[in-house]
Amino acid sequence: MAISDISHRNRYLAEGNVYLPHIAVIENIVDETPGIRTFHFNFKDEKLREEFTFESGQFGEYSVFGTGEAPFCISSSPTRRDHLEFAVQRAGRVTNALHRLGVGAEIGFRGPFGNSFPLNYLRGKNLVFVAGGIGMAPLRSLIWNVIDSRDKYGDISIIYGARSPDDLCFKYDVEAWEKDTTVKMTITVDREAEGWTGNVGFVPSVTEKVAPSAKDAAAIVCGPPVMIRFTFPVLEKLGFAPEQIITTLEKRMKCGIGKCGRCNIGDVYVCRDGPVFSFAQIKAFNSDEY
Amino acid sequence: MVAWDGNDTGFLDWYRNTIIPPKVNFLPNMEKMFTFRKDDGSYKLELPAPEEQKQLIFGIRPCDARAMAIIDMVFKDAYEDTYYLNRRKNTLLVGMGCVNPYDSCFCTSLGLGPAETTDVDVMFTDIGEEFIIEEITDKGKELLAKTEGLEDATKDDEAKASKAKDTAYQKVTRKIDTGEIGKRLPAAFENEKFWEKISAKCVSCGICTFLCPTCYCFDINDEKDARYRNWDSCSFPLYTQMPAENPREEKWRRVRQKVHHKYAFYPMLFDIIACTGCGRCIRLCPVNWDITQTLSSLPAEAAAGTEKKNGD
Repeated sequence: MAISDISHRNRYLAEGNVYLPHIAVIENIVDETPGIRTFHFNFKDEKLREEFTFESGQFGEYSVFGTGEAPFCISSSPTRRDHLEFAVQRAGRVTNALHRLGVGAEIGFRGPFGNSFPLNYLRGKNLVFVAGGIGMAPLRSLIWNVIDSRDKYGDISIIYGARSPDDLCFKYDVEAWEKDTTVKMTITVDREAEGWTGNVGFVPSVTEKVAPSAKDAAAIVCGPPVMIRFTFPVLEKLGFAPEQIITTLEKRMKCGIGKCGRCNIGDVYVCRDGPVFSFAQIKAFNSDEY
Repeated sequence: MVAWDGNDTGFLDWYRNTIIPPKVNFLPNMEKMFTFRKDDGSYKLELPAPEEQKQLIFGIRPCDARAMAIIDMVFKDAYEDTYYLNRRKNTLLVGMGCVNPYDSCFCTSLGLGPAETTDVDVMFTDIGEEFIIEEITDKGKELLAKTEGLEDATKDDEAKASKAKDTAYQKVTRKIDTGEIGKRLPAAFENEKFWEKISAKCVSCGICTFLCPTCYCFDINDEKDARYRNWDSCSFPLYTQMPAENPREEKWRRVRQKVHHKYAFYPMLFDIIACTGCGRCIRLCPVNWDITQTLSSLPAEAAAGTEKKNGD
């Protein structure tokens, strides 16, 4: 084996330096849940704003100058280029600093980094999206991407769950997908909640109940690690081969380009060689640290 | 590092190797990546002026010169690391063969030796009262052409140099079998009991990684007006800590990562073991952890009944 070639990926380096961010301006902030916000942003540099492209599944390194940098996937679709989006759950220093920013604030952006969802593979297939909580962020980029070329794909079903109704993100998307007659939308929450009349149950068990067919299909899964781990066997039971199951992994990252060292799973660097992997690839990892 | 007065060359008789490896000259333990300031409500970022200063490292040991060639691969990969590569470009390596290797040295097991010339620009070999100087690269040739006071080596000098090299080679007595390690290491990965035993005395201080000439891991952090890069280490649990999970919370996983990164993962990616046998991690470890002992005690076959923590 040798290190994979990633030279074909789009790169937009500031002054030829991969560590130097581009300045971007926050144009809108959406409160998704009490702890999660979506930021809409655009590059300050007009030329970059025009030229910048990315693919669903790729991520960026976002800076709050003076606090630090953290990686988040680009949660908007490359087919909708009025602005870019990323969603942040408050957890540590950088995410808290991001949550303190208002519209008009400047942030830094490096990217896009990482690989992307395999559109060529997905084309013509029935797609089953399985997401939990903020795990919907990378999937909604792909879902809108797919919906914007609707005739190139088969049936679309989406299974989305969160701990409670308040923890469901992207409610405006969910509403739109519920109205879309070409999309089969299932929503669930982990526990009974006042005023909630929908499904109750964890994402893996609801997936088992919904029982999407594996025929000519691919499942794209993202959520908390524990949800991912329990969803894989359910999908396998439903007849999905490991090649038909795709996910995007999360690790602590700093550089975003496979140098700083920390996001490896064996010889695979999630930032450089991922974050998108098929379950078949994951099974072939020479480490269990995913 | 030793401060030198520019005159006394007595240290050449006792100097064996530095504690801090020469990687610090290319990847400083802390460096400013860029500064930022707010001007009229808008951020201005500024890169440090490119370091055009040429530098020369005198007396670099073959193991440490090889280490630079090894970590070049990461810093050149896909996205070039301009900070590191700029310094590499502007630096001449003047190597000096070892005449007195430490008993913790095991470079001869890793495809080099105390007189290896492959990775330096110029090589010095101690032949007693004098040095034989070999030009290795074009850059080295240029340097020697500009150096005054050099004499042509005689046949006798050359014979002495060759003997000195042989003697030094024989003095490296610590050995590992990289072929056998390559076979056993992948199978040992999931042997939790083995790694727990191996890592029991480790205090996770990070010394073996900070002082390793091939360890290059780093962290990126902001101060008030600048972003910095610092050395980091897989010995620390924080290195991989995420809000709700940590893939290497347990010490044995971190020790396993270090050993596998050097002897299994790096060879998979770059076709070379990320260890040069310099022996620093052995002689500078506060609890006498010994990587050659670990590598020599790898079980012959994967132990049955070890469990996967994740995944199933």
